[in-house]
Amino acid sequence: MAENLETIISVIAETEKAFFYRLSNAATRDDLEEIRIEYLSRKGKVQSLFSLIGKVDGADRPKIGAELNRVKKAVQDAIDEKQKSFQRTGKAIEFFDPTLPGRTVSVGSLHPLMQVMDEVKQIFVGMGFRIEEGDEIETDYHNFEALNIPKHHPSRDMQDTFYLSDEYVLRTHTSPVQIHTMEDQKPPIRMIAPGRCFRKDTPDATHSPTFHQVEGLCVDRGVSFADLKGVVLAFAQKLFGKDVKVRFRPSFFPFTEPSAEYDFSCIFCKGQGCRVCKDTGWLEISGAGMVDPAVFGFVDYNADVYSGYAFGMGIERIAMLKYQVNDIRIFYENDLRFLKQF
Amino acid sequence: MKVTLNWLKEFVDFSLSATQVADALTMAGLEVEEVYTLERNFSRVVVGKIVKSQKHPDADHLSLCQVDVGGNILPIVCGAPNAYEGLKAPLALDGSVLLNDLKVETRKIRGFESQGMLCSEAELGLSERSEQLMELAADAEVGKELGQYLGEPDSVFDINVTPNRPDCLSVIGIAREIAAMTGSSLKKPELNIAAIPDAIEKYMTVDIQAEERCFRYSGRYLRDITIKPAPFWMALRLHAVGIRSINNVVDVTNYVMMEVGQPLHAFDYRLLEGKKVIVRTAEAGERFTTLDGQEHELDQDSLLICDGVKPVALAGVMGGLNSEVQPDTNTIFLESAYFEPTNIRRTAKRLDLSTESSRRFERGIDPNGTIYAMNRAASLIVDLAGGHVVGDAIDNYPQKVTPVEIDLSVHQSNVWLGVSLKKEQIAEILSSIELSVEQKNGDTLRAIVPTFRPDLTRPIDLVEEIARLYGYDNVEPNVAPRINQLQEANPRVLFRDSVRQTVSGMGFRETCNLSLIHKKFGHEFLPQKAGFVELLNPLSEDLSVFRPNMIISLLTSVAYNRNRQMHDMRLFEIGNVAWKEDGQSVKTEKTQIAGILAGHRQGNAWYGKAKEFDFYDIKGVVEGLLAKIGIEKFEQESAHDVFWDAESSKVIVDGKSCGAFGKITDDVLTLFKIKTNDLFAFYFDFDKLFENRRKEKIYNPVPRFPSVPFDLALLIDVNVSAGSLEKEIWKSGGENLVDVHLFDYYKGEQVEAGKKSVAFSLTFSSKERTLSDDEIENVIDQILAHLSGQFGAQLRDR
Repeated sequence: MAENLETIISVIAETEKAFFYRLSNAATRDDLEEIRIEYLSRKGKVQSLFSLIGKVDGADRPKIGAELNRVKKAVQDAIDEKQKSFQRTGKAIEFFDPTLPGRTVSVGSLHPLMQVMDEVKQIFVGMGFRIEEGDEIETDYHNFEALNIPKHHPSRDMQDTFYLSDEYVLRTHTSPVQIHTMEDQKPPIRMIAPGRCFRKDTPDATHSPTFHQVEGLCVDRGVSFADLKGVVLAFAQKLFGKDVKVRFRPSFFPFTEPSAEYDFSCIFCKGQGCRVCKDTGWLEISGAGMVDPAVFGFVDYNADVYSGYAFGMGIERIAMLKYQVNDIRIFYENDLRFLKQF
Repeated sequence: MKVTLNWLKEFVDFSLSATQVADALTMAGLEVEEVYTLERNFSRVVVGKIVKSQKHPDADHLSLCQVDVGGNILPIVCGAPNAYEGLKAPLALDGSVLLNDLKVETRKIRGFESQGMLCSEAELGLSERSEQLMELAADAEVGKELGQYLGEPDSVFDINVTPNRPDCLSVIGIAREIAAMTGSSLKKPELNIAAIPDAIEKYMTVDIQAEERCFRYSGRYLRDITIKPAPFWMALRLHAVGIRSINNVVDVTNYVMMEVGQPLHAFDYRLLEGKKVIVRTAEAGERFTTLDGQEHELDQDSLLICDGVKPVALAGVMGGLNSEVQPDTNTIFLESAYFEPTNIRRTAKRLDLSTESSRRFERGIDPNGTIYAMNRAASLIVDLAGGHVVGDAIDNYPQKVTPVEIDLSVHQSNVWLGVSLKKEQIAEILSSIELSVEQKNGDTLRAIVPTFRPDLTRPIDLVEEIARLYGYDNVEPNVAPRINQLQEANPRVLFRDSVRQTVSGMGFRETCNLSLIHKKFGHEFLPQKAGFVELLNPLSEDLSVFRPNMIISLLTSVAYNRNRQMHDMRLFEIGNVAWKEDGQSVKTEKTQIAGILAGHRQGNAWYGKAKEFDFYDIKGVVEGLLAKIGIEKFEQESAHDVFWDAESSKVIVDGKSCGAFGKITDDVLTLFKIKTNDLFAFYFDFDKLFENRRKEKIYNPVPRFPSVPFDLALLIDVNVSAGSLEKEIWKSGGENLVDVHLFDYYKGEQVEAGKKSVAFSLTFSSKERTLSDDEIENVIDQILAHLSGQFGAQLRDR
């Protein structure tokens, strides 16, 4: 005559389960209110379960009572919680799809060549160099003669020049900035000149009539070739990592003596030899040297007191290595699909 | 400059491999761009001997030969003129493959069987000589593989000789470097000329009338010579270094030039008139035909070699057509001279006639080397062409060039290089390249520089030689920081970089365009009455003038991307532009920043339809950029130029125009073949922004008392601009007005015709106190009265 304990427990459990199912489908406040009345009102489903207490043996009654109290609290808590979530959003919860695309914010970017330029500038600024600028249209004097490249000298053949007149050229390097700086300032000088240069090179995979250079100059008492090697080594390692080695090879530039071409150990094969370095283990970077005393003569520095070094580098060359771009012209096409990668 | 390994070995002993030599030369400053072995483009070719040769009965130019190949006699049909009996020549056997994959097989030629082919040097790829059979030595072993007979193929070095090293435009010069590197010495053969005694004046005299252009003129007279092809060994070497074989005499002059660096010229003596050579400058407009058949018009700067009557050579550049060696030449006059370098360069440049000879003269040959070179050539000519040298050498050398002496401080040299070499080490290094070194007192060395090194004139020049030969690798890098005075950062560079960051942060992509453009793109962008900065020597029309405005560059990029189906973009670039002001030759170069909006602000999306850019998008960018750099307010004025009149504006700060923005006109878009008219751009004179930027940031206390907002909706004539309204509000708003913000703008049915409604939100705030309602009311009345007076504005609702 007394109902089976297990049966009653399972009725309670089913009621609870049914409640949570209903609750999970409640999409509006009205839905929720309806559920609350259905379960928690005086004649609600939870309340009516309490009448079952009388149907079990006296000994089991506390057990059923405790279980019913637990369920009642759980239902109340769940409804409260749901109620709060409605309050937060202020409206009825519909299906919310967080996977829809966000509202587009236009994203800009800096040109890869300029990013490399910025990095190079930062490295040298960190080593105490000041950045100097100059015009792209230069006098023949500043671009050539003051750099010890006289008119009618074979070394003019080293660079194919765009002429505007007998007097004006598009600068073939940023070295004229060094001349201007030395004309305006007295030693010590420690500067770099980043900028755009021009040479009459027909565009191909490795040549562009417009290109970018960073050139550096340091003039002081007792500046040596060993200092030059040091600064280039420090730069190489800051740019490409601690294990990069630097090699200097003798060369010739009219404005430096001794002059050098400098190479970095290949950053791809670590100097073992690969396709990029043509199996030499070295990547040709650019030129450097000690400032030729003749140049000091043009800017009225005393070559017996001061010495200096100068170095240059092509930004395109470094960017091509860094980003593994194999055609210089790509930088100047400005294809959005290219720009977006940087 | 090309040299071969075997040629070098005639002048210096060394045991390095070709690759080792190449590396060593590169590390000594003679950059070897390429080193390669001469290819042998043949197989199954043997030494053959023509034992019988008779004319083909039906074909005059063909010979029917019997060729001994060592045991076998093969019938060969041959078309060469020198297929005579007794000649040893290479025979390509049946089945052999020659240059350009030419296959040789037994076949019938004009009715006779030929079991192979007798070969010229060209057919074997050994030289470019194709007219005759290659002639092998009389003692060549018949039947021997030709490859074995010729021995190991030579290696060629292609060396990039820098302009300061004229001495290395010669085999001897490079051999001297190898000698210095390997610690051996240069072998320079003694020359003995057995001349027939006679008075040379009977045959030739030399008169230098331009001593400042010709420092020295040496010459020799040779007779009874026979012009014929040069021997194979000489043709092979010339071929290897890129010089065409002509005949024995011309080849000798080229061979000696390559060997010792002295350009030489052989005249056909029969064609020289008056038994004299005169060295003089040309007359203006004088015409002369060089031996390549080109006629040149000369000016008074050019130097000519003349006989008693006419010019016969363009000095240092090229000989004349009227006096070159002919097939029947039997008497020659050999020239070996020193011409002033810059003069030769000017002439070669002006005539666009750069030759092996001019390249050497313009860099500076050894003025004291003319006799050696001439005698070397004379003895080779006698060897190869027979005949005799007659009389003494002519040597007209008015101003002798003497070796330079340089005093070098050992200490100074060490300071410059950052090394600590001893005096003896330095002396040894300099001696290794044939400088005579005297050890003077104390710290000083005196070096006497041979005249073949015109690049060494100053102590620093010696320092370079020391560094180069000591080894750049052996100089330890000094990475210890050299602390100079603290360098103040360049504010313009900092500003430029921060502007780039700002604009890219607004969603623009930075581009990098060429500075040179086609004129047709630039006209519309030139300032009034200005002209282009134009190149005298452009690569092409497309890259012939400097861009006058950065918008041109951005339009180029838009067009490029539009052609590749990319429609929407925001681009910017900072760069230099230039033009020439009206009537002035001096250029104006400026830095500009420009930005462009093309296409849609936003594409079709779930939250809204695609929306095209409009004028207020570009204006917003301009306002944002200017606000960021501290320019809060600017005046506007119609800008015209490349923008539509209506949708354009100049940006005027402190009364000065800094730039402009607006909608690009259709005319301009058509130029760039851009098909839609939805492009908006701005450009600024970068330095005007720089001047007007906020230089210092100083804290302005935030108000402690509450601010009071007040909304004001005005009814006003349609053509009163919002800007002028705002300006007048500021004017009449009193000291406590701190912000004016236009929040509604309406034209349409809700307002009467000819009017519009403009609503502003005003904010009032005082630093001293809380403002009362009465105070605000009073100011609003004041503003309304002012606006009513100025524009007839009415209050719409309050």
